[in-house]
Amino acid sequence: MRRLTALAALALAMVGVTAHADDHRGRINYMLHCQGCHLPDGAGVADRIPQLKDFVGLYLHDENGRAFVINVSGVATAPLPDDQLSELINWVLLSFSGKELPKPFRPYTAGEVSELRKHQEPDPAARRKRILERLRTSRPDLEIPQAEAEYSSD
Amino acid sequence: MNSIDQLIEQGVRGVAKRTSRRGFLERIGALIAGTAVTLPLLPVARGEQASEAAGDEDGSSAIKETGDPLSCDYWRYCAIDGFLCGCCGGSHDACPPGSQMSRVTWIGTCENPADGKSYIISYNDCCGKSSCGNCLCNRNERDRPIYRSPTANDINWCLDTDSAIYHCTTARLIGLALDQ
Repeated sequence: MRRLTALAALALAMVGVTAHADDHRGRINYMLHCQGCHLPDGAGVADRIPQLKDFVGLYLHDENGRAFVINVSGVATAPLPDDQLSELINWVLLSFSGKELPKPFRPYTAGEVSELRKHQEPDPAARRKRILERLRTSRPDLEIPQAEAEYSSD
Repeated sequence: MNSIDQLIEQGVRGVAKRTSRRGFLERIGALIAGTAVTLPLLPVARGEQASEAAGDEDGSSAIKETGDPLSCDYWRYCAIDGFLCGCCGGSHDACPPGSQMSRVTWIGTCENPADGKSYIISYNDCCGKSSCGNCLCNRNERDRPIYRSPTANDINWCLDTDSAIYHCTTARLIGLALDQ
């Protein structure tokens, strides 16, 4: 029994270490591939660069929104393999927009990202607007700010 | 009450005997001039404060560096394309007075010859003044064509500043890259 407990502790420790390492890589990949435009805290720039902070998690309340997060060109064409891309997106969601995420949060897997990134969205602004308008009607409790739905450039 | 008056009068007369009005003005003047020399009173770029708060989280400000930040050979400039701000009244990580640092920027990695490690460098442009024209430096390691805009250094990155006029480029160290 004691050996079993020790093994369980070791397994937990290993999971902890792995999760920590991935978190770090997610953050570094954010710095290298996203931060230049979305800024270090994900705040974006009003009317020019989409805001991630306190916002991006809202998309995951809609199945089409969940796909949209990966379909946008900056994500779909990022020069990263599927596993690092899913890790990066999960890091962004949890770090910048944890409180907006659906509970429980279902992280993206490498397989899901691999499928979704094949379809790059040609008109992200229009699709974003449709998703947010639908959510505003179906989920008034989310209190989606109006300004984001009117966002027109990308 | 009278004794308090006398005491103060004696004190004031004592000071007047020991000091001169010119000496007082001289010391005030020296204080003002000294403050102007030691404290920066010129305008400082607004973007810098915000981006510095996010940078140097890995203790990267304490790393060992070699080379001359006024020379294009300096290791942090491995992917730069622009005028070096150090030759324009600023430094390799600060904008010249009167210009504004763009927070939107292009980010690359450079290997530091002093320790052999790769670091993440943020090439923030300084904007709002006409082109500096000094120390043009164009190195382009890992630069990509302009259709991959997040990794292209040929574009004007003055994207969130009051003015889109390009002045010069900094090379701010923001973290340690992953081992490849």
